[in-house]
Amino acid sequence: MREAVLTWCVPLELLCSHPLPVSAFLKTQVKLYTYRACAGKDEMGKMVSVINTVDTSHEDMIHDAQMDYYGTRLATCSSDRSVKIFDVRNGGQILIADLRGHEGPVWQVAWAHPMYGNILASCSYDRKVIIWREENGTWEKSHEHAGHDSSVNSVCWAPHDYGLILACGSSDGAISLLTYTGEGQWEVKKINNAHTIGCNAVSWAPAVVPGSLIDQPSGQKPNYIKRFASGGCDNLIKLWKEEEDGQWKEEQKLEAHSDWVRDVAWAPSIGLPTSTIASCSQDGRVFIWTCDDASGNTWSPKLLHKFNDVVWHVSWSITANILAVSGGDNKVTLWKESVDGQWVCISDVNKGQGSVSASVTEGQQNEQ
Amino acid sequence: MEELDGEPAVTVIPGVNSKKNQMCFDWGPGEMLVCETSFSKKEKSEMVPSCPFIYIIRKDVDVYSQILRKLFNESHGIFLGLQRIDEELTGKSRKSQLVRVSKNYRSVIRACMEEMHQVAIAAKDPASGRQFSSQVSILSAMELIWNLCEILFIEVAPAGHLLLHLLDWVRLHVCEVDSLSADVLGSENPSNHDSFWNLPGNTQTLTELELKWQHWHEECERYLQDSTFATNPHLESLLKIMLGDEAALLEQKELLSNWYHFLVTRLLYSNPTVKPIDLHYYAQSSLDLFLGGESSPEPLDNILLAAFEFDIHQVIKECSIALSNWWFVAHLTDLLDHCKLLQSHNLYFGSNMREFLLLEYASGLFAHPSLWQLGVDYFDYCPKLGRVSLELHIERIPLNTEQKALKVLRICEQRQMTEQVRSICKILAMKAVRNNRLGSALSWSIRAKDAAFATLVSDRFLRDYCERGCFSDLDLIDNLGPAMMLSDRLTFLGKYREFHRMYGEKRFADAASLLLSLMTSGIAPRSFWMTLLTDALPLLEQKQVIFSAEQTYELMQCLEDLTSRRPVRGESDIQQLQDEDIETTKVEMLRLALARNLARAIIREGSLEGS
Repeated sequence: MREAVLTWCVPLELLCSHPLPVSAFLKTQVKLYTYRACAGKDEMGKMVSVINTVDTSHEDMIHDAQMDYYGTRLATCSSDRSVKIFDVRNGGQILIADLRGHEGPVWQVAWAHPMYGNILASCSYDRKVIIWREENGTWEKSHEHAGHDSSVNSVCWAPHDYGLILACGSSDGAISLLTYTGEGQWEVKKINNAHTIGCNAVSWAPAVVPGSLIDQPSGQKPNYIKRFASGGCDNLIKLWKEEEDGQWKEEQKLEAHSDWVRDVAWAPSIGLPTSTIASCSQDGRVFIWTCDDASGNTWSPKLLHKFNDVVWHVSWSITANILAVSGGDNKVTLWKESVDGQWVCISDVNKGQGSVSASVTEGQQNEQ
Repeated sequence: MEELDGEPAVTVIPGVNSKKNQMCFDWGPGEMLVCETSFSKKEKSEMVPSCPFIYIIRKDVDVYSQILRKLFNESHGIFLGLQRIDEELTGKSRKSQLVRVSKNYRSVIRACMEEMHQVAIAAKDPASGRQFSSQVSILSAMELIWNLCEILFIEVAPAGHLLLHLLDWVRLHVCEVDSLSADVLGSENPSNHDSFWNLPGNTQTLTELELKWQHWHEECERYLQDSTFATNPHLESLLKIMLGDEAALLEQKELLSNWYHFLVTRLLYSNPTVKPIDLHYYAQSSLDLFLGGESSPEPLDNILLAAFEFDIHQVIKECSIALSNWWFVAHLTDLLDHCKLLQSHNLYFGSNMREFLLLEYASGLFAHPSLWQLGVDYFDYCPKLGRVSLELHIERIPLNTEQKALKVLRICEQRQMTEQVRSICKILAMKAVRNNRLGSALSWSIRAKDAAFATLVSDRFLRDYCERGCFSDLDLIDNLGPAMMLSDRLTFLGKYREFHRMYGEKRFADAASLLLSLMTSGIAPRSFWMTLLTDALPLLEQKQVIFSAEQTYELMQCLEDLTSRRPVRGESDIQQLQDEDIETTKVEMLRLALARNLARAIIREGSLEGS
C-alpha cells in the first residue's frame, strides 16, 4: 500500500435507479469530497439537476452522446446504426439530422473543432469510420474510411492546432490516422499491431508548444510535437509520438492494469508542465498517470479507486478539474482533485488539529 | 487505504434502469450528458428495451434565477471595487473600507431578499410561492452568517462594542427581541439600558463600564436576596433574567426565537463586556441549553458556532456544504482574504482557497449566456489558474451574433490571448465562407493573421471575379493596407484591384507597369495569367503606346511561358474543344496585339531618342 498521499477525492456520485418523484431528486445534493490516505476529509457540495431530456427516438441501445464545442448541438449514435444530431439550445430538442451509412452498431461519435466547419466522425462495428459534414445547411457523408479488418472502437480528433486529424482505434489491433489534406482528400497513416488483440481507445495530448512559450512569428507554424495515447486488450496504455519524418513511433508503454484497458483520457492542459492521463480497465481500476518533466519520460500512476466491476469510460471536464468515471456498477462517479493536497487537512474527524500533517510531501503540492 | 467521510450524496436520474443497463456520461462545455447504455460491445443487442432518452444535467442552476441575477451583477461591482482597494492602506482606514464593502454585500443580499419576498407573495401557485419563500429564508440565513462574520472577523469588535454589535445583529434578524426589551425597560430598575450604553460619545472606558455594570448587578442581586419583589413573581423572574439566570431566561423560551437570541440576551445580563475569545463558551452552552437535548443542531447552527469559535475555515466549509451555489463562500472568502485573515491562520493554502472558490464560482457563470462576462473579471483576479481557466472557457462561448463575437474578441485581445483570438477568428472566417460572405471571411482571416485562410478566401474572390466580371466587397479590398502582406494571394488580390482602379482613373502607364509586375514578380498565380494578359489587350490597343518595347518583350515572354506549359490534352469532348478554340483565339489575338505594340513602341522610342 502506498504511503504517499492520494490527492484525489470522491465527489459526486450519480446513481441511476427507478424513477423517484421529481422534487426528490432535484433536491438531492451532490457532494464533493477530498480525502487522504492518513488524515481527515472534507466536503463541498453543490446542486445538480436535470435541465433537459432529449428523446432521441433511437430504436436500440445508445452507445455515445457528445455535445459539440459550444453545447448547442448533441450527436448520438446507437446500435440501430444511425447517428443523430439535435439542436439543444435553450432547453429545446430539434432533430437536425438522421444519418445513415453504417452497417452495424455505431460505437462513438466525435465533433471536430468548429474552425473546420461542422464536422462529425463516427465509428462502428462495421469496420468503417465515416466523416460527416454540414454543407449549406444539410449534413452529408463527406468521407468513408474502410481500412480496418475489424470493429473500429474509438475515434478522437486531434487538437485543432495540428490541423484536421482523426485517430481511430480498432479491434484489429491497428490505429489509423486520417489527415485532411484539402479538396476532400484524406491521407491515411496506419500503425499496425499497435495493441495485440485489439485497441479500445485513443486520446490525443493537448497541443503544447515545446520549449519556450513565446509567441511564434505569425505565419510560421510552431513545431508541435504530436502525441496521443491508446489503450488496448494487451492491458497496456501506449503513448505515440510523431517523428520528424512523419512516422508514428511508440514512445512509452504504461503498465499497471491487469486486464483490458477500456478507455484512456488525456487531460486538457492548464498551462502547467505536468501531463495527466486517466485510464480505466476491465480489472475495475482507474489510474491517474502523471508526468512532471517536459520531455515526457517518467510517468507515475496513482490508483484513483478500485471498483467492483468493469470500468468502461473516463472523461475530463473541459478545465480538467473533474474526472467522470462510468462503471459497470451502473454509476457515474465524478472525481475532483483539491487545489493542492493541503485542502484536505480540514476535517470533521480531526477538528482542532488544524496543522498540516507531516506526511504531505512537497511533491504532492503540485496543482493539476 | 482511503477512507471516506461518509456516503457521497446521490443524484437519481429518473427513467434509467440501473438493474439492466449502465450509464453513459459525457461532458458538455457547461452541462453534462447522461444516458442509458450498454458498454459491452456486442453486435446484436440483447433485445432489452432501451431508453432513448439523453439527460442533460447542469450544476449551478442558480445562475439562471432571474432574481439572483441581480445579486450576481451587483456583487460583481463590489468585488471589483474590493480588488482595487489600495494595498498600501493599513490600519483604521483600511478596516473601515473593508467594513463598508462587507455592508455593501449585505445590503445587496437584503435587496435580493426583499425582491424575492415580493415575488413569493405575488406567486400565483402555492408551489412556486413556497419555493421562493424557501429561497428567501436561505438568503436571510446568508445575511445572518455574513453579518456575524462581519462583526467578529472584519469589524473585530472588542469587548463592550462586541455585545452592542451582537445586539444589533439579533435585533435585525429577530423581531421578537423588541418585546423582551420592552419588558425589561419597563422594570422598576433605575438604570435602564439606554443610559448605560452611552458609547457613541465613547466617554466611558471599558473598565468604567464594567464597574458600573458590576454595581448595577450587585444592586439587582441585593433586591433578589432581600426578596424585595417576592410578592410579584413576574417582577422577580424579570430580576432573575436581568441577573442572567439561564433557567429564568429559558422559561421565556417562546419569546426567544432561537439559541443565538438566547445567547445574546444571556450575555447582555450576565457578561455584557464579554471578550471575543470567550464567546464560544457561551455560544456552545447556549446552544445546548436552548435545544435541551430535544433536537440536534442544524447546519446553520453549526456555522454560527464555528464563527463564534473564530474557526473561519470551518465556517467556509460548512457554508459550502449547506448552500446551493458558490456565490456566498466565494465572495466571503475573498473579503476575508483581503482582511488578511486566511493567512494569519497560518495554513498553507489560505490564499489558494480563495482562488479555488472564485474559480468555481466564475466557472459556473460561464454556463450562462450573458453572465459569463462577469466571470471574466473574476478569473482576472485569480493569479494562478485564472488566465488558463479563462482561456478554456472563453473559447466555448457560442458566437451566435457578430456583436457577441466582437465582445469575446475584445476580451481576448485586451488580455493578449493571441491563441484564442486566432482560433475564434478562424471559426468565424470559416462560418462566413460557408455562408458565402467573402468580405466578412476575409476580414476575419486578416484579424486571425491566418495566411492560409486568407489565401483561400482570396482565391474565392478571384474565382468570383472570373465568373462574374466584378468584385464584391470592393471597400474591403481597396483598404487592405499593410494587411495585404499577410499572404501572396491576398497581396495579388489587392494589387489586382489597384490595377483596376488605375485603369479606371486612366492612369494607363502605371496600370500597365503594375500589370506586368504582377506576372514577373510571381505574385500572380499562373492560373490567372491568361486573365491578366487579356486585361493587357485594351492597353495594347490604345492609340498611344503604353507598354514600352522592353515591357512588350516581357509580356511576350510571359505569354510564351504560359502557352508552352499548357498540358497536352488527349481525347476531349466538344466543350473542351470549344474551350480550346477560345483559348487559341485569345492567344492569337494577344500575339498580334503584342507584335503590333512592339512595332509601335520601337518606332516611338527610336524617334524620341533621335529628337
